[in-house]
Amino acid sequence: MYVASESAIPINVALYWIKYMINQKTHMEPTLTSQSSSYNTINGQDFKKLVEASLRWLKANQQLVNSLNVFPVPDGDTGTNMLLTMQAAYNEIANSEETNIGKVAKDVAQGALMGARGNSGVILSQIWRGFARVLDNLPEMDAQIFSRALSESRNTAYKGVVRPVEGTILTVIKDISLAVETYVTRSSDLVEILDVAVKTADESVKYTPELLPILKTAGVVDSGGKGLFFLFEGMQRLIQKLPLDEGAVVIKDLTSIKFAETLEVVEDGQDVEVVIDFTPNDKLDLETFYNDLGKIGTSIQVGEGDGLYRMHIHTETAKQDEPEVLIKSMGKISKIYKEDLRDQMKRIEEKKKELEIKEITPGTIAVVVVSPGPGLSQIFVSQGAAAIVTGGQTMNPSIEEILKSFEDLPTDKVIILPNNKNVILAANSAKALSVKNVAVIPTRNVSQGISAILRWNPDGDFQQIVDDMNDSLDEADCGEITTATRSVEINGVEVEEGKIIGLLNGKLVFSSSSVEETCLGLLEKTDMEMRERITLFYGANITEEEVTTISEKIKEKYPDHEIELHNGGQPHYQLIISIE
Amino acid sequence: MTSSDNPIGSVYISHRSIASIASQSALESYGIVGLASKNLASGLSQVLTKDPVLGVDVFFDDTSVSIDLYIIVEYGTRIKSVADNVSEFVKYQIERTTGLTVKQVNVHVRGLRISNTD
Repeated sequence: MYVASESAIPINVALYWIKYMINQKTHMEPTLTSQSSSYNTINGQDFKKLVEASLRWLKANQQLVNSLNVFPVPDGDTGTNMLLTMQAAYNEIANSEETNIGKVAKDVAQGALMGARGNSGVILSQIWRGFARVLDNLPEMDAQIFSRALSESRNTAYKGVVRPVEGTILTVIKDISLAVETYVTRSSDLVEILDVAVKTADESVKYTPELLPILKTAGVVDSGGKGLFFLFEGMQRLIQKLPLDEGAVVIKDLTSIKFAETLEVVEDGQDVEVVIDFTPNDKLDLETFYNDLGKIGTSIQVGEGDGLYRMHIHTETAKQDEPEVLIKSMGKISKIYKEDLRDQMKRIEEKKKELEIKEITPGTIAVVVVSPGPGLSQIFVSQGAAAIVTGGQTMNPSIEEILKSFEDLPTDKVIILPNNKNVILAANSAKALSVKNVAVIPTRNVSQGISAILRWNPDGDFQQIVDDMNDSLDEADCGEITTATRSVEINGVEVEEGKIIGLLNGKLVFSSSSVEETCLGLLEKTDMEMRERITLFYGANITEEEVTTISEKIKEKYPDHEIELHNGGQPHYQLIISIE
Repeated sequence: MTSSDNPIGSVYISHRSIASIASQSALESYGIVGLASKNLASGLSQVLTKDPVLGVDVFFDDTSVSIDLYIIVEYGTRIKSVADNVSEFVKYQIERTTGLTVKQVNVHVRGLRISNTD
């Protein structure tokens, strides 16, 4: 067993901390309740709060971590896997009153082990395991022990693999532990050491593309390493009393922030949506701007395009003029838009109701469709879908959601159209869990889904229809047009972040700066002589006028083809093109 | 041996090539500390000759490949997650490098290496 060595506390550090504690104000965030006058040591309860902060901060940044995959369309799950692992870890101590840090850490490690999901989750569980081993049964942790625990984290993590790949979460924990080992000889203040850890993690993550070429090609940093960074930064933010539930400031593309932003929940007291377009006088300091807005309301988004900024916020009625005042002080306003959120909610509710699904005749064949947007749902319903599950790219429905959608249908013959390659697995799992006779047609996109549902006949022979639908999969090409989320080179096509890319049957084939050009380029890559109809489903992030112009251009180029336009309302994809 | 045709000839990929890819990928996979042979006799000669296909069996049918992996896992990791990860990674690497379809990756955990018992 390890015995802690007594370390003298420098007087100036102690004074600094006394000052710090006095300056603390009461705050909504949980604060460390160290009994001693400094953070030269922390106990089990403090540690619990730090772990909770890590978890919350990772949760706030989960999507950002997920988006760090090596393909230009987001479909990663590292963030989710790490979050689920951390959640399992925290669940072990959530109700614990234990003050012995060794015992708390042991429970965290145990929880992480049991809940480890995915590669990064397994590595994270090893990091915790090493950490807990050093804390063993100690009542408190000081800087020396912290440093030794991190080193053991690193050693344990590296032991789990024969050929460690550098440029991953492993490199990041290694760099952190080395930096802390060095720094601990100079300071015994845990807060300072944590700052060093966070700073090192940040640098280390930024350097990962230099070590792992696949990251560099895709233009991303390592997702697992970034996740680990957020865990450390969460702890730091708790100490600095920064909010933990709003994710990092991400500058979005201007067009991605719509004036009538769709929303699912309105927070209590937040009644007004304010959107302001403005040109700042000086270069905008996002951090400060974001913090200022944070005092006014929630759901903050900031977008930029050609020097013009757009700010989006939800606020209470009494504060609805404050964003305007704030922005006036820093730049020129070109447009202000305000809307009552309650009205907006009502409209959305009404829109949802419009989707009227006809009840199926008991005993007939029911088709369950996974649809990425309201317009597309409408189309599927008009073709006879018995149930719709909302979902698609980056919002995969759970197995449970799929299962629930057809469990209550008055029939035991069910066909599922997943319409996305990431949903096929969930659909198959739902099939395995159901007692009904379920068939999953592996439709990888919406066009295949539409071709398949056209083969549906409620009273036909189940197996025959399933076969027909499976045969239909090759009869349509699917084009997808979306905005690249980062710079990348794939299939010899070079893509810059923000460019419009065209995917034909899931493969990147074309990139340009306009939707129109990409659309035409994509059609050129398709074997158009074999096809006779082009159906365009336009998404929530493009206007009808733009699409009409594009369809006219297509008509000019392919006068013999039939062209149809539908409002698909799907997110992320400007256009989904079905070519039959 | 599997083959695929292209306009100017055929491409043959041997069991051993695929087994090598599988074994390299497995060893890069987190939580796996080694591969183990299926039985002692063949294992002994494989260990002595440093055979790159130790602990990997490859089966072909007409269009796809199935892999059996015999692995040793680090004690203290969640074995199920490690097994899931390695099968996914091996499948991905083989499909990416050879263009073949991998139908199955069966993972056999032959043992655990205990570095720390906690």
